[in-house]
Amino acid sequence: MELTGTHTLSQPPEIVWAGLFDATMLAESIPGCEDLDQTSDTTFAATVKLKIGPVSAKFKGDVELSDIVEPQSCLLSGKGSGGMAGFAKGSARVELRAENGGTILTYTADAALGGKLASLGSRLIQSTANKLANEFFTNFGEVLSRRTFSNKSRQE
Amino acid sequence: MTDRAGHIGTPHLREGALRHLAGRGDFVSDQQLPRMVHAAFLRSPMAHGTIVSLDLDEARASAGVVAVFTAADLNPRCADWTSQLDHFVGMTSAPQNMLAAEEVLWVGHPIVMVVARTRAEAEDACDKIFVDFEELETVAGIDVALNADTPPAASGVDSNLCYKNELKTAGVDDAFANAALIVEGNFAFGRHTAVTLEPRAIIADHDPATGQLTVRHGTQTPFQFQDVYARHFGVPDHKVRVIAPDVGGSFGMKLHVYNEEMATVAAALILNRPVKFLADRLESFVTDIHAREHRIHARMAFDADGTMLAMDVDDVAPIGAFSAYPRTSVVEGNQAYRLMGAPYKMKEYRGQLTVLFQNKVQTSQYRAVGHPIACQVTEALLDRAAAELGIDPWELRARNVVPDDAYPAESATGYRFEKLSHEASLQKLRSLMDYDGLRAEQTALREKGIYRGIGLATFVEITNPGVAFYGVGGARISAQDGAVVRLTPGGEVHCAISVTEQGQGTETIIAQIVADQLGVAPSQVKVTTGDTDATPSGGAAWACRGAGIGGETALRAGRKLAERITDIAAALLQADPANLKLRDGAVVDRGTGEVRLTLAEIGRIATYRPDTLPGGVDHSLSVAQHFAPSGYPFGFTNGVQAAWIEVDTETGLVTLLKHWVVEDCGRIINPLLVDEQIRGGVVQGLGAALFEECLYDEMGQLLNGSLADYLVPMAGEMPDIVISHIETPTEDTILGAKGVGEAGTAAAGAAVLNAVNDALHPLGTRLTQTPMTPARILAALGIGQA
Repeated sequence: MELTGTHTLSQPPEIVWAGLFDATMLAESIPGCEDLDQTSDTTFAATVKLKIGPVSAKFKGDVELSDIVEPQSCLLSGKGSGGMAGFAKGSARVELRAENGGTILTYTADAALGGKLASLGSRLIQSTANKLANEFFTNFGEVLSRRTFSNKSRQE
Repeated sequence: MTDRAGHIGTPHLREGALRHLAGRGDFVSDQQLPRMVHAAFLRSPMAHGTIVSLDLDEARASAGVVAVFTAADLNPRCADWTSQLDHFVGMTSAPQNMLAAEEVLWVGHPIVMVVARTRAEAEDACDKIFVDFEELETVAGIDVALNADTPPAASGVDSNLCYKNELKTAGVDDAFANAALIVEGNFAFGRHTAVTLEPRAIIADHDPATGQLTVRHGTQTPFQFQDVYARHFGVPDHKVRVIAPDVGGSFGMKLHVYNEEMATVAAALILNRPVKFLADRLESFVTDIHAREHRIHARMAFDADGTMLAMDVDDVAPIGAFSAYPRTSVVEGNQAYRLMGAPYKMKEYRGQLTVLFQNKVQTSQYRAVGHPIACQVTEALLDRAAAELGIDPWELRARNVVPDDAYPAESATGYRFEKLSHEASLQKLRSLMDYDGLRAEQTALREKGIYRGIGLATFVEITNPGVAFYGVGGARISAQDGAVVRLTPGGEVHCAISVTEQGQGTETIIAQIVADQLGVAPSQVKVTTGDTDATPSGGAAWACRGAGIGGETALRAGRKLAERITDIAAALLQADPANLKLRDGAVVDRGTGEVRLTLAEIGRIATYRPDTLPGGVDHSLSVAQHFAPSGYPFGFTNGVQAAWIEVDTETGLVTLLKHWVVEDCGRIINPLLVDEQIRGGVVQGLGAALFEECLYDEMGQLLNGSLADYLVPMAGEMPDIVISHIETPTEDTILGAKGVGEAGTAAAGAAVLNAVNDALHPLGTRLTQTPMTPARILAALGIGQA
């Protein structure tokens, strides 16, 4: 399954880029994220609780960032095991482009499900994945604005 | 002996149906035993992979957990099983055991078994198990499996080729070379599955004091499982009791060995208490056998006046990562490529069968094994030829079927037919459906832009199998059945018989048959089935053998008891047994009909006062009889079906308007039940033709594992099904009955495929893939993609 999307963020690419590598920011932005640890400069371990169609699952998995061209593009790849529910895996190419002082973020993602999630959730996965991606970028944008705003307040 | 035909051939209601209606069903699913615990399985989420690590600590500590078993704990208890039949020369399959040790072979392959106080607690514990997998290359789909560079779907085999064989008559090449017309086509058949109302269910218990293993198992073949459990777990077979009480549908799905049932028995042997496993619907979708995935290229040759000369068939049939045990998954393809063209005079044939492994759940025998495939390919090609030759489809069939006076006959593929009635069946169908009237209606409606179609499908069905199916291949599967019939001390009758009941009415017909031999009413005959401790050993229910083989067993047992009763009466009355017969619950004078002794009196004397009988009279009121077919290797039946449908060319939806079946199953024992079997079979065939398909992605993930996404035929979509009969009894038995359980399924899909293509004919397109979903019909019409 392929997913694509574009989001406009009001911060410049450098700020957005830093956010993408910030464990606390990611933890706040990922829907259902219960735990997220940075395990190296480019890898994270996460626990995420999700409901896809009739199946609820707690995923434990790893996310890795590669093909890094700072602050323009990178590849996020991840795989999560949801126990009895099965697994989810995928990758997303994220590109940042400066525009009017803000950033246009585009992504092209490829995701796959396995086990019970695939058998019961395939019909719903496209809409669920789109919804989750939207939620993530909306959260990310909000957290970024909040941070930038509070940083600005502190500076002033 | 009774002189009246009596109850054979007359409609009798199923006693079991009244019991079920009253809420008194006794299904393993509902049974609760003292100290019983419940099993759940952690399953592979991927189609092919290696288990790298397994963390069970949290699961073991989870609430209510009694035991957590891995392959290392459980598999050593059970001898591996390897699917094999000697007559499939060169067939191969990897040995299997209960839980995946290192390699997982399909999505749903059980890895860990958790036994807990409740199923919910067992599932909760499964959710706390952490498994780390490494993915291996997945074989999913025919082209991937055919590619010699693809690694095998299971490490226990060298390649993805399970079995390959060719049948060829000497003149087939000449027949094609000299043909006036050759029609050909590619056909694709989707996997589907049984979707029984009651899923698979089992409760196993072991008593360490006596060594007794008791298995309550929702199966159609209790004796086969008695033998499997005895051999694989090293328990003597007389200490293994398999009880199959009410079974909520089987359709062939409940006679294969499944990992979960074997694991449940193993757990009971370890825990010495009752362990229950009941598959939920998703587990059924990912572990019940699937059926009938085929890709076929076929050609058919004719001479100029429409005589069918030959067929050339290349059938590629992918199964799972291994062949099902103990009957093999090759049988489906074997029957498909041997039944091609079976109703017709066709003399020459070439058929190639290629059975492939892939990382999906095993496929195997399911109602009408191979029949719908052979029928659909043959009948679709026949319709193409009819169009090319400008001959009416009914007429082309009538010209080519084996004539009713040409028996015994043999098909080009080597099947021997005792006596079939294709000509009479076609004639009967023509008037039953008012063929000419429908053709006129069809033409008139086409002018109004309404696309209706008529589809015909002639078929033969394999029933009453002797040892040729499995026994000769070395499988421990019984072709014979056994019965014990006894007169009770009160003068009633009891019959314990090895054929089994899954709702088709076996017990009712057995009562009718026994009743007629003893001159009593069927309500006076109690029939016991489905308990290896209570009845003699036998084949039970598969391949349409209940009426033909079970019925003959009951008939012969009943006659034996009738002779015994007559002898006792003759001794008491000092009469010649030849002057006595049984009628209306009594021994009567053959000439006058005068009652000489009631059966109740004979029961009383033989049981309580055998001392009053003259010396030397055998007063045993129980007789045992076994019977195995010994004439033709199979008892073939035949028939023809017709479908009348309408295609909505804007939505791609097919409306089934009416369906007709003319069928010849030999002697009809109970017309109500025969028609029920045919109707149920037709609906199952229509399901495969229009609705049912197990959809997989290229990673071997099943994408529609629930009844929200997997469509089954519903009452609202089904047409009226009109049934009529020809009766050609087999002379291989006294009873003359053949099977009927698979006739409906054999040809319903072919009839509706031909009907859809007949409707679409003026639009210049046709369907060659089933199920014929609205998307596929629209794609054939050039709208969108399938």
